Amino acid sequence: MDERHTMETVLEETRTQPMKPHALPPRATPPTQVRPADADAKPKTPSLADERIVLEVQKFNLWYGSSQALHDINLKFPMGKVTALIGPSGCGKSTLIRCINRLNDLVDIIRIEGDMLLNGKSIYGRDVDVIELRKRTGMVFQKTNPFPMSIYENVIYPLRIDGENRRKILDEVVERSLQRAALWDEVKDRLQDSALQLSGGQQQRLCIARAVAADPEVLLMDEPCSALDPIATGKVEELIYQLRGYYSVMIVTHNMQQAARVSDYTAFMYLGKVIEYDATEKIFTNPSKKQTEDYVTGRFG
Amino acid sequence: MERHFDQELDDLKQALLRMASIAEQNVAQALKALVQRDNSLAAKVDEEDNLLDALQIEIDDRAIKLLALRQPTARDLRLLTMAMKISTDLERIGDEAVNISHRAQELNQEPLLKPLVDIPRMAELAQSMIRDALDAFVYEKPDGAREIIQRDEKVDQLNHQLHRELTSFMVEDPHTITRCLNLMSVAHNLERIADHATNIAEEIVYLYEARDIRHQHE
Amino acid sequence: MSSEQKNKSRSTNLTARGEPMVWLTGGGLVVATLMIAGLLLFVLVNGTATFWPKPLKQVATADGKQFLGEISRIETYRVPATELEGLEKTSPDAAAKIRAADGASERELLRTGNFDLYGDDFKWVALHNVTKTETPPNAWMLERQEWGPFLGFIKEVRVDGKAVASTPDEMRAKFNELHGRARARWREVRRLEKKDVGAINHELEQQRLNLRKIELKHGKESAPYQDAVESRARREAELKVKYEELEKNIKAIRDEDARYTLLLAEVGGREKEQKISEIVRAYPANALSFGRQFGVYCSRWWEFLTDEPREANTEGGVLPAIFGTVMMTLVMSLVVAPFGVIAALYLREYAKQGLLLSAVRIAVNNLAGVPSIVFGVFGLGFFCYVVGGTIDSIFYPERLPSPTYGTGGLLWASLTLALLTVPVVIVSTEEALAAVPSSMREGSYACGASKWQTIRRIVLPRAMPGVMTGLILAMARGAGEVAPLMITGVVKLAPELPVDGHAPFIHFARSFMHLGFHIYDVGFQSRNAEAGKPMVFTTTLLLIALIALLNLSAIYIRNRLKKKYVGAQF
Repeated sequence: MDERHTMETVLEETRTQPMKPHALPPRATPPTQVRPADADAKPKTPSLADERIVLEVQKFNLWYGSSQALHDINLKFPMGKVTALIGPSGCGKSTLIRCINRLNDLVDIIRIEGDMLLNGKSIYGRDVDVIELRKRTGMVFQKTNPFPMSIYENVIYPLRIDGENRRKILDEVVERSLQRAALWDEVKDRLQDSALQLSGGQQQRLCIARAVAADPEVLLMDEPCSALDPIATGKVEELIYQLRGYYSVMIVTHNMQQAARVSDYTAFMYLGKVIEYDATEKIFTNPSKKQTEDYVTGRFG
Repeated sequence: MERHFDQELDDLKQALLRMASIAEQNVAQALKALVQRDNSLAAKVDEEDNLLDALQIEIDDRAIKLLALRQPTARDLRLLTMAMKISTDLERIGDEAVNISHRAQELNQEPLLKPLVDIPRMAELAQSMIRDALDAFVYEKPDGAREIIQRDEKVDQLNHQLHRELTSFMVEDPHTITRCLNLMSVAHNLERIADHATNIAEEIVYLYEARDIRHQHE
Repeated sequence: MSSEQKNKSRSTNLTARGEPMVWLTGGGLVVATLMIAGLLLFVLVNGTATFWPKPLKQVATADGKQFLGEISRIETYRVPATELEGLEKTSPDAAAKIRAADGASERELLRTGNFDLYGDDFKWVALHNVTKTETPPNAWMLERQEWGPFLGFIKEVRVDGKAVASTPDEMRAKFNELHGRARARWREVRRLEKKDVGAINHELEQQRLNLRKIELKHGKESAPYQDAVESRARREAELKVKYEELEKNIKAIRDEDARYTLLLAEVGGREKEQKISEIVRAYPANALSFGRQFGVYCSRWWEFLTDEPREANTEGGVLPAIFGTVMMTLVMSLVVAPFGVIAALYLREYAKQGLLLSAVRIAVNNLAGVPSIVFGVFGLGFFCYVVGGTIDSIFYPERLPSPTYGTGGLLWASLTLALLTVPVVIVSTEEALAAVPSSMREGSYACGASKWQTIRRIVLPRAMPGVMTGLILAMARGAGEVAPLMITGVVKLAPELPVDGHAPFIHFARSFMHLGFHIYDVGFQSRNAEAGKPMVFTTTLLLIALIALLNLSAIYIRNRLKKKYVGAQF
């Protein structure tokens, strides 16, 4: 085993050589990410102050008819990191994420106040073209929704509706997206098969590939693993972890352990308000608010 | 399936390994300072101990975070919990080595009482126990760890033997009392180091076999 | 509590478990299945039996008459008192039997044919009157071009007025030899008349219409008109020459034909000379081997499917009706499919939800309940008179006063039926659209697709199986409707098919024949109800088979679409 060999090398090395000050030995195994985030240094607790902001939610309020579902939300989502939204059912996390790509426009009785800025550009401004906005975001849903077409057509759907028909470009995008979604090896020989023949986990990864095909500025995920079995869930979680650095990911999940496993930052929401928003490490080892602590320890309700 | 969690466990093991190497080195250095009557070496041991302390804090911090964020089970869980215990034992070993180096500095102010025989023997045993514990950790050999525990008896015997010898020295010639007390202290430190090495061995057995063998050989 | 009571309270009531419901629902299904199967079997048995060549029976009755014919059916009837009294005198045993049976006796219906000699072709013969029954081996059944079948004996085979065969076997052989050629000549004459003479007539008509057009446009006094009159006169002269030549040809063939005749005699003693070319099919009914019988059966089926009707639709084939039915169903489907799907799309996807929308939807649903004859009346009034009349006055003024589009025809009948079946398509398409999961739509929107892109690429393909179901239902309903067709373009006998070799090849203004209407006409409107009855069954069988074929192909297409677009249901 690789691990043992390298560990014993380290052992021998430190016994025979004079002590070196303060530096840890070089990495034993190669990095699993293409762009690892400073693996050699001691991992620092992430801090929002150091991050570049990709999406800013400003004084955001939402009403379903006459009842208010979101109260004065103010959040800054960091670029290139995974941010999780957790909270009990009905706390508004799904509603909030669907506001980012204005999917809630499809529901007539919703009224909105406040704004969101995606890379500085307003989402709810007067002249915003919703179709253009949606092309800058990618979304993955709880229920896998592959389109009734071939795998190839599914992945390039966002490009097709944009009018892109050049074969070379489409082929490139398909390969890149499927590789990023960790699905390329499994389907590269049957791209023309119907997407509906894939298993549940594969379908969800296909949806992820489709969501990243157009290189979105943010990747939105609404409980992407809820409908999957544990093995498929594990694969998708590992995938999400590796997407950081390439994309800014916002994931809604009712499974807080999942949030702990995959995200860098977590926002805890309750009854339409953000109770606490901090580094995931802090939320799960030493949250500031008692409500948060009650929720993550499972004492809620 | 490859998990990034495996990477994080790797990093933790690396840190533990590093800490163990430094602790082992420190014990060797402290003995050298005593045997070769070198005060500069003693000072170095002090310095390196700071590194050990920092590593202990770091390892504990990493382990807590991984426990909170990764919900480990089975061997992963045992690794994290035992890592925290092993780091504690290693830090104590480091502290004992610092004590030995202080005793060495005091002893170097006076002429040698007698040629050191037992103390190096004890040191040899203690160091071998630490080394073998590391090997058992790296090569996943819990049986090797078991074998270490038996050597602790020998170290205890040597300690008692030295204790009797030095006591008779002190009775004979009161001028040797300071030096004898220092030497007894060193022997005591070495005996403690062996105990900590035994603890580490027991923790390694638990890590790889999930069997708690503490307090059985008493 | 005693153990008895305990047991009672523990055993579950059968009714609670639903046992009766299982029996009830199962029973209902069985009854429905039996009814359908029974109907199909009834039609099948009667329809397939029609063309089988039956033996000819010769019966002698008590009053000395002789009858030769196929036995059509036998029934029990009440003997009228006067007849009974007469019977007492002539045959007391028979009378006694009848009295014993409470005045009832049996009689058989003989198909005697020979309408041209006797004025009727079916005769009832009371079984108690029959003195002798025999099956003469030389009795012939001859199906003719006119006057229906002749049942009797061949006395002579004549060529140029002289007999060339006299024994039954010789006559049979000679007849078979001459018949083929005679029919070929007959078909040749027909072809000349229909095609060549028809082409001349067609052109003459065109000339007339062109002249009228110019007259209307420029007036009788204008120069173009005068020119046209001249050129028309010239052309007519040319055509007349051609026509006369054709006439000569036809006459020559007819003369040749007249040489070959048969002298036929029937049991009543009368004789008739019959041209061989006018005999469609003939066979000695009692002397056929099974193979020959089967041959006659198959040739009759072939004629049924590919030939035109004769004898007021009681004989011959139904090819024009098949053609008309298929054409009409196709045109109807081509109209109703896009129209219905687009309407449903608007209702479901684009229209704003509200009172007005609900009202429209209710109206569409109720449209499906309107009696089909009402649609027919609407079709006649609106399509034929208003729209058709307007088209006539604008595009075909030269043909007036005889209407082109201003009367019933293929187009108006198809449109009327399209209107009738459009609610079915709209309702099923709406359901199919509603069944597309919203997760799929949201997925498309999230990719940045517009509403129309989502509909075109995702929703419609996914809904296609449901849409096809609606189309199948619509086609089946439309193909079977008769009432509205009767007044918007279907006729008893159409002079020509709506599709032919002259431009524009599909003539939407022509009347056509229809299988459903044909059934009605043959069964209830024909002069000869008894002759028509078997044809009713056969035509019904054909219509059911045709619709079943349409449905099966549509179902096949739908299954293919389902597999492609809906996939496995996990």
